Order: sequence, then C-alpha cells, then structure tokens
Amino acid sequence: MSSKVCIVGVGQTHHRGPGGDLAYYEFAFEAARAALEDAGLTKGDIDTVLASGWDVLDGRTISDMHLVPAAGGYLKDSAKVADDGILTFAYGYMRIASGAFDTALVMGHGHAEAPTELVSNVALDPFFYRPLGVGVTSSLALQVCAYAARHGVSEEQAAGVVVKNRRHGVGNPYAHLRSPVTRDEVLASGPIAWPLRELDCRPQSVGAVALILTSEDRAKRISSRWATVEGIAWAAESYYIGASELWRLGGLSVAAQQAYRMAGISDPLAQLDVAELHDITSYHELMAYEALGWAQEGAGGRLLEEGATSMEGRLPVNPSGGALSTNLDAGTGLARVAEAALQVMGRAEGHQVEARTALAHGVSALIGPIAETHGVAILRGNE
Amino acid sequence: MPRRVAIVGVGLTRCSSWRRDVLYPELVYEATSAALQDAGVTPNDVDAVVYGSMDPFDGVNAPEKWNVDACAAAGMLSKPYLKISTGGTTGGSTALAAYYHVASGLHDVVLAVASQRVGENLEAQLVLNTAVDPVYERGFGVGAITVAAIQACSHMHAYGTTEEDIALVSVRNHANALNNPYAHLRVKFSVQDALASAMLSWPLRLSDCCPSSDGACAIVFASEERARKLAQQPAWIRGAGQITDNYFTGDRPWYEDWDSLAMLARRVYRLAKIDDPMREFDVAELYNAFTIQEILEYEALGFCEKGKGAELVRQGVTAMDGRLPVCPSGGVLSNNPIGASGLIRVAEAALQVMGKADQRQVPDVKTALAHSWGATIGFHTLMILDQKAP
Repeated sequence: MSSKVCIVGVGQTHHRGPGGDLAYYEFAFEAARAALEDAGLTKGDIDTVLASGWDVLDGRTISDMHLVPAAGGYLKDSAKVADDGILTFAYGYMRIASGAFDTALVMGHGHAEAPTELVSNVALDPFFYRPLGVGVTSSLALQVCAYAARHGVSEEQAAGVVVKNRRHGVGNPYAHLRSPVTRDEVLASGPIAWPLRELDCRPQSVGAVALILTSEDRAKRISSRWATVEGIAWAAESYYIGASELWRLGGLSVAAQQAYRMAGISDPLAQLDVAELHDITSYHELMAYEALGWAQEGAGGRLLEEGATSMEGRLPVNPSGGALSTNLDAGTGLARVAEAALQVMGRAEGHQVEARTALAHGVSALIGPIAETHGVAILRGNE
Repeated sequence: MPRRVAIVGVGLTRCSSWRRDVLYPELVYEATSAALQDAGVTPNDVDAVVYGSMDPFDGVNAPEKWNVDACAAAGMLSKPYLKISTGGTTGGSTALAAYYHVASGLHDVVLAVASQRVGENLEAQLVLNTAVDPVYERGFGVGAITVAAIQACSHMHAYGTTEEDIALVSVRNHANALNNPYAHLRVKFSVQDALASAMLSWPLRLSDCCPSSDGACAIVFASEERARKLAQQPAWIRGAGQITDNYFTGDRPWYEDWDSLAMLARRVYRLAKIDDPMREFDVAELYNAFTIQEILEYEALGFCEKGKGAELVRQGVTAMDGRLPVCPSGGVLSNNPIGASGLIRVAEAALQVMGKADQRQVPDVKTALAHSWGATIGFHTLMILDQKAP
C-alpha cells in the first residue's frame, strides 16, 4: 500500500423521524451533496460510489439503483454493501487502498419502510428460530439478559447510558432526538422486551450520511484538514446463538484487537481521545466498553458511573448522541465513522471534544446478536 | 497500480428449480467446501469472506446470516464478512469486492460466495417489479423480461435481427449446457422446437428466457505470493470494473444498443490493454439471461460492429468450435440462481483459463472475459482473467 486512506469530506442530513414527503434517494442526494461541498469537490471528482443497506429493510428491491445515481454515481463504478455502513466504509477503504480509485463516496441511509421486527424474524431459518418469534429487539434482549444476569448489571446503570447519550445529542445539530431524559424517565418508560425499556432502545430515524475517501497524497493536495484511517477490522459471529457466549461481544473483541494492532494502539483507554460506538441498546454500550478492552468483563457500568465516558470524561463516548439519539439502521455504523472523523478534524459543531485519535464502531445487527458482524475503525486527525 | 490478484479455486453446486434435498446452509457449504478443496486451503487459511445474494428473491431475508457458518466465517474463526447486493450483477460485484479485498493489501486469501434460491420465490418478475419506481414505472410491469423484450423489438427494428436468430442463440447455449454437469437445464432442442415454444413477452419465447434456479458458487481469490504457491495455473485478474446507468427505464431511449456496457468495456479494455477483443479473448462467459441480450453484448463488447451481432450467431463464430466461443457452460439461459449467476460467469471463465472446465473446456484458453448485468439493465460488471500475471 503506497499511501494511507483519508476522509476529506463529511455530509449528513438533519435526521428526523419517519414520515415526511422525501424519498430515500432524496436524502442520499442531500448527504452526498453536503459531503462534496465539505470536501470542496464536485461529482466529477468522484470515481466510485458505494451504498449501504438491506433491500428487505428499504422495502425496495435493488435500492442502489436509485441511491447511487442520486449520490452522483451515474456512469461510475458502484456497489452496495448489504450490511451496516461501517462495512461499506471498509469496502471504500479497500477500493482506495488498492490504488484502483482516487476518490470514493461512501453512503448510508436510514429509511425503513418495512417493520424491522418482522423483517428480522423472516431473516431466520423457517425451521428452528423463526417459529420462536424472535426478531432484532427480542434477540438483543436475550443477549442483554445473559449479560445483566452474569455480571449483575442493573437497570439503573443501563439508564445512565441513555441519560448520557441523550444529553450529548442535544449538542448535535444533526441528531434526530435532541431532548435530554432523566434516569427516572428511562426507568418509567414502557417495557419493550425485558429488561429493555422504550428509552433503552434506539429510535427509528430517517436521513443519510456520506463520506468522501481519498489517498493521503491526494488529501494533501486538495485539503487542509482530514482524518487518516489508521486501523480497520471487522469480524463475524455465529448464527447459532444457543452455542454463543451471549454475554460478551466476541466479534467486537476480535475486530478491536486487529484494529488496535494496525494503528499501533496498546493502551486504548490512554491512546484514544474519543469514541463513537453503535449503542444499539443502552446495555450494548457497556458491553462494548468491555469488548474494546477498556474495562474488565462486567465492569463497563463502573466506567460509566465514574463519568469516564461522558463529554467531560477521559474518553468521551458518543458526543453525537449515538444510535440512542439517531438510528439510521444500516447507516448507523457509517454515521459513527462520520462523527469520529468530524471530531478529529475539529469540526463537530456543538459537540466537539479535544481529540486527535478516535475510534468508530458499527455492528451489522439485522437480527441482533444472531450472526452479527462488528466493525472498528481508528481515525487520526492530520493536525 | 493495484497489487496482483488471482483466482486459485472454484466451487459450483448442482442447480435445479428447487434444491429440496438441502437446507440453505447445506447448499452454500456444497459450494464453499468444493472451492476450498479445489484451492487446497482450509478455512483457517481464509482471511476474509465476501457474500453475495439478492435477498428479495429468496424465501429468507439476509441469507448471509443463516449461512455465515457454512462460509467458515464465524464461530471461533471470527472472520471479516461482508455482504454485497446489486441485483443481477450481485455475483459480479461479489467477485469485484473479493478482488479489492486482496488488491488493497488488507487480505491475502479471500473466499467469494454467492447464492440464490429462486425456487422459494413465487414469481421473480413480480419481485423485480418492486425495484422500479412505485409512482411512474411499477404499474407498467417493468421487470427483466419486459425490458429485454424492448431490447429485442428495438434491435429487430433497427438492425433486422430475426426470431430465428435469437432461437439460434438458445439452441447453441442449451447444446453447450449438455457438457456442463452444474447447469440447471440440460435439454437438446432444435430451432423449430424453440420457435414452437410459448410466447412470453413478444418477441421473447420460453426458449429465449433463463430459468429460475437454486444454486450457489464460491471462488478463492489470492495475492500473488499465495497464488503462485497454491495453484499450478492461477487465473490472474487482468482488469475489472462496474458501471451504473440511470434509474428510470424511460430515460434510456436507445434500446437497440447497450451503451453503458460499451462504455464499461472501453474502460476495462484500457486497464487490461485489450486492443482487439475478438482476437485477444479465447472464450467469454456473458450474462445472457435472454437470447437477444447475448447479441447486444457482442456488439457492446466490440466483438463486432453495431447491428452485426446476429451475423456472429449465424456464422457460428461464438459456437464451441468457433473463433470466440461464448458461454461453453450454457450461460444464464441454462442456469439462473440470480445473485450467484454473475459469480458463476467468473468461475466458468476461471475454469477455462485454469484448464479445468472438463467436458466444456475450450482448447488453449489464455484469456477469458466474464460479464454480468443487473437492475433493469442499468448495471454491468466485467472481469478479464488471464493465464499470465498482468
């Protein structure tokens, strides 16, 4: 590899709740245009466009037919990663790193037109799992039960994650939910799948996010401020959750170790300045602390209670408000990368922390922990 | 300049209208285990897996989830696993993704897997119709066969191609499929039989259309260092690419020519330094889901001038004993597990280059071309494979 891969532009929509009169490719257009403007480029400068998401969630077969041309990909080399957007980012990284392309636009969107519980249930085999009625939220709840029971994690500790991320989200002008909540409000919110309550779970948001990737050589020519990709890795977990250690995020541990090694990180808690994690539920943020090697197994809650991961702490987590404030479905992992890039570029308006090195995490959890894939990217600012 | 990448192993499954004898993971395992065995590697040697399928054509959403263990990507292995969906080009896009996994330097040995169980589908054309705009085009019944019928009408009108010409394409492909144990349709018939088959979407008859198939395919891609150790004759990737045309069917007025494919071919030929495709290719595996498309593909790919595609068919230039055999496998006309069909084209081209195509082997293949199209004919992929490293 001759040159590192850099992020030189970030664009996103003002994310919002379902409804409204825009088609999903209109959101893609808005985000792509914002990313190009941010990078000071025009669509003619882009060689390749990569989209994200599962057709079955979009309610539209071959959704990239619309997404790619809307994002400036007409007559260009494109593909769709039918997975979480952090894996689309990984593919964009590989396309640039190969030297075959100079500049890539990578996008993710949230616009679920299909009921996610039903779509995820039908992603299960029809013989053993599907008749159990599990879907994405109920399988996440099974995982949370296993985690909470094994380590005595309390509902109050999980509620602390919601309070933190919703407070952070207030400062992010692009977030969907921009109102703080109290611990009591979280604990009083309605049950969804025990022990998950309404506010422990992510909302349903619509919007899109786009990133412009290029080589370091080109970044130096066209930009003054960029984020370099120092580490990237992703790892899959088994379909058979009955045989899995549900209380830990094994795929995330593997991906994190590989990404740390690539980026030369031996003490993540000391070397990372900020992290954007895919908090698919409040409990999952605590599990992620542990899988990322920041806390002993079962001690994620203590890290939170010490305030280490709040805006003022030693390693702020989700200054953007995370997925608990904005859930773009398959776009969520890419939004984490976008937010991490904004932080190390010093451009996270309203929610900036002091940061040179950032970690972004995304998870391909269409059916919760069942065959999920975790991705980790480590970014560093050029200044 | 990307680093060199080669194909070192291929695995195909038996295909049929409904593989009731196997569960989905078993079908996928049939392909992945055969590919690993062909390459002489174990699951531990594989650094990453790319999976391709077109979910809406299956009876299970996101089948990569159920099949992750059959790809040896999960469990204790915890491998990088990434899923691709791009309509009919899914298999071609999956091969491209595997190529970039290795070309980037991030991975050395990568398994590309693609599958489809169209047999679980009530009617693939109804599913494809949900791809097009619900306000402007869905009500017109736009799908693959209707768009291909427009291509056929336009080509016949502009260039005088006849129903007999497209029947010849069908007969040749089905005769080739008799040599391919992995093809779904393996039936011998004549031009008269073809012309007597049922009219589906004028002027396309049953014999002009691909079947709906269950099947899977897997390919092992490797870096130069690993490829030279793993295979006596690797199939080197000499050039590859994809192109995305516009979205609305009505915004593409020239259906007699496939301009997006011609544009992609020019780009990929430049990368691969191909000047005269007719002379430099020894075999081509084209995505001929409908007979007429093979003729348009000849023209767009520069095998002949515009409007002269049918002449190549009539003269037997693309027959097994012709100058440039097209689809020795029987093509998509003989076998169409949709999301896997593009990867099967790459696999068949690789087998030809590696000299391992058995009964369907074309003698002395040095360079081969693999193509796929997708969406409502808006996507194409190309991959050029060669005996010599680029």
